[in-house]
Amino acid sequence: MTRLLIGLSMGLAAMSPAAANSLVSAGPRPNIAGSSFSAAPVDEWNRLSRKDGKNVEIWTRDGDQLNKVTFFGGIPSGKPLVREIDKKRQPLPKVAADMLITDIPVMLESTYRIQYAVSQMDIDSQEPATLGGHKAIRFTYRFAREDDGVRRKGEAIGAFVGGKLYLVTYEAPALYFFDKDVEKYRKLAATLAL
Amino acid sequence: MRHLSRFALCGAGSILALLGPSPASGAEPGLELPTYTRAYEPRTVDERGVWMEADEAERGLRDSPLRIREAGLEAYLREVLCREVGTERCAGVRIYAMEIPGFNASMMANGTMQVWSGLLLRSRSEAELAAVLGHEFAHFELRHSLTGFQQRRRATDAIAWIGVWGALTNRDTSSTQSIIERGIYRYGREQETDADLLGLQYAALSGYPASTPSEVWKNLMAEEDASAAGRNQKPKQKYTAGYFDSHPTHLKRSIYLAEAAAKMPPGGDARAKEYRAAMAPYLPRFLAAQIKRNDFGGTEHILQSLAADSGWGPDLLFARAELYRTRGNPRDLQVAAQYYREARAAGYMGAELDRNLGLALLRNGQADEGRQSLNAYLTAMPEASDAKMIRALVAN
Amino acid sequence: MKITWFLRAACAVAIAATGISAAAQEKTGNKPGFTLAPGTARIVLMRPTIWVGEQSTAGMPEPNADWTTQARENIARALADAQTGLGNVVISYDEDASGEGALVAEYSHLFGAVAESVIEYQFFSGNRLPTKKRKDSFDWGVGNGIAGLKSLEGGDYALFINVHDEYGSTGRKILQIVSMFAPGAGVSSGVHKGHAGLVDLKTGELVWLNADWEMGGDVRTAEGAAKRVRQLLEGFPGRPAEAPAEGE
Repeated sequence: MTRLLIGLSMGLAAMSPAAANSLVSAGPRPNIAGSSFSAAPVDEWNRLSRKDGKNVEIWTRDGDQLNKVTFFGGIPSGKPLVREIDKKRQPLPKVAADMLITDIPVMLESTYRIQYAVSQMDIDSQEPATLGGHKAIRFTYRFAREDDGVRRKGEAIGAFVGGKLYLVTYEAPALYFFDKDVEKYRKLAATLAL
Repeated sequence: MRHLSRFALCGAGSILALLGPSPASGAEPGLELPTYTRAYEPRTVDERGVWMEADEAERGLRDSPLRIREAGLEAYLREVLCREVGTERCAGVRIYAMEIPGFNASMMANGTMQVWSGLLLRSRSEAELAAVLGHEFAHFELRHSLTGFQQRRRATDAIAWIGVWGALTNRDTSSTQSIIERGIYRYGREQETDADLLGLQYAALSGYPASTPSEVWKNLMAEEDASAAGRNQKPKQKYTAGYFDSHPTHLKRSIYLAEAAAKMPPGGDARAKEYRAAMAPYLPRFLAAQIKRNDFGGTEHILQSLAADSGWGPDLLFARAELYRTRGNPRDLQVAAQYYREARAAGYMGAELDRNLGLALLRNGQADEGRQSLNAYLTAMPEASDAKMIRALVAN
Repeated sequence: MKITWFLRAACAVAIAATGISAAAQEKTGNKPGFTLAPGTARIVLMRPTIWVGEQSTAGMPEPNADWTTQARENIARALADAQTGLGNVVISYDEDASGEGALVAEYSHLFGAVAESVIEYQFFSGNRLPTKKRKDSFDWGVGNGIAGLKSLEGGDYALFINVHDEYGSTGRKILQIVSMFAPGAGVSSGVHKGHAGLVDLKTGELVWLNADWEMGGDVRTAEGAAKRVRQLLEGFPGRPAEAPAEGE
């Protein structure tokens, strides 16, 4: 109950000034997420100034609650996907060099459950794909957080390259937003290179 | 200015005096009727306020995507609660089962109770579940939402006044403020103890064993120690709560509950078999969620504690295999493969066992055996949502 | 859960003490070129999120059910009056026997997420998105799936209202006055904020949103609620200008 109210008040109050978000216009875009990830978006995106981790970058069209593309650019062995909030009590799973490609969705799910209070999550489809010429996995998923009443859907592509994890996810509310922007994400994902 | 500061000091002093030990239950005029009376209506301004918030929050729970709506679960939880606190008390309660993996249940002022899946997973009998539900119900009967709110208001008001007084007189008031702040937490701990003891009285009348509430805390302590050990940290059980702990320590609770229970009639059947039967349909899903919490020690403890009660059945063996495969050291992968095979031998039917066994073997470099298992999965589930991916792995 | 209340109150004091207070902020967005359909518009008022209470001396919010109920009634009546004046009809949402409670709740949560995004990423400086800064752009919605809901049939628009009021207690007001003598310990009294949005039930588009962090009008009284509703409806889309008089 309190959580709901706090959520509400934070929502309205969380407008503290930060470094500005920047425009991602159509055209080639190198060094995404401080890595060798590159893309050539066809549509416009906004890059959030917020950082969830050293090699993490977030793009959005209407705000990260409504549509969100996250780039995980080369997470090395022994590191978590995002910065840990509480290393001691809520340690996140770490990338391991011997992971199979099918461990990528498992790792994403576990990270979400621990870090973002996601208490329902299901991986739906999994199929082989290529990411910048490397063997990759494409998967879809659904999840709901404890602290808001919006169910979300996701689609992602990930690969291990040189022992590092490269992963791009697209997430949006299942109602309306996911379908509205999924094609824009797919067009973007089709231009990904490493 | 000087007058003003002296006034502020007096004000702060008398507020401090007001903060002494406060009555545990709401004996405020107008609040004589128990909250569980049928169609009870809140009586005072504060009580109506607290209920209004609870009413809004209850709408949220009712419509939440996390609510476990499958037929029967919430009705079963209600049966357990009613057995624990008696039909008269439980009549007005609404129970919501929520898919949240933490060990928790809570009750709001208006009689809304939420029970988390993490509590359902860890309980080994109706009596254990009932001990926690009874404790939460005791908070409700003692109007703790209301009195806790009022106490926090008194205390934070005093902190604000002292802060302004400090600013006026240019003095550091942080230690005085901290004393009052600790009072808030101490009050919270007193509420917990009161609820524990009233909860125990319900247990003693319920027919469930009176010793169970103490067991629940012991088991939770063991889980926390196992969890810490699994993360190479020191176990953290202690007898005295810190100033800023909102609850008494588990150790202290388990001891005073056991002492009080020793003076009560022992009670009867914990109804473990009935509980297992009721949870069977949900167990695999709850276990899967627990395994994804990256808590090897805690999860292993839960599995062992469940197995100590029921034996290592197919679901528990499969979960244990998953736990080891997820941690993923070479030795873990070997152990996982073994547990998968034991689960199969114990009668685990699902085809995902072959897939996960295959993945464990593959990751461990046992390529041929791994492919064999993955092929078995594909033969059983050619249209599975991950069949394409698994086929690609086999082909490599 | 109990302790978070305390932390929140403590934060309120901390914020007040550092003297950061939300500057008067009020912002309206309209879908460019949108006007209400001609004729009488049927506006479904979704269950408003209304919270009215007191602010304790320390700044802790204290819910007051009586005030909230008064505010609920006053605001509903003032809204109906205001819209009748514009020639529209306001109907309160009723789930009825549609069985759509959970789905409609999800749409309400989605609207909440959209409203928060508009407020954070378009209305106020600080965290704006570059694509949302452009002049005359207001492109938001919850999708036309909402048109399929049985329980909203017959409505033209859905109106969402969110109001949060904390009236300074006597203690809080005295603390505010006393603190004026204390350098660096500014204490504000009272919180009055709200937002309102209108969704076109045929298209799901958000055609208007108004947000205000410092609202006037005491919602506990009929007159105050009328003033509050006027402020909440700031920039509410009107109908096309009346046809010019003949001969012009």
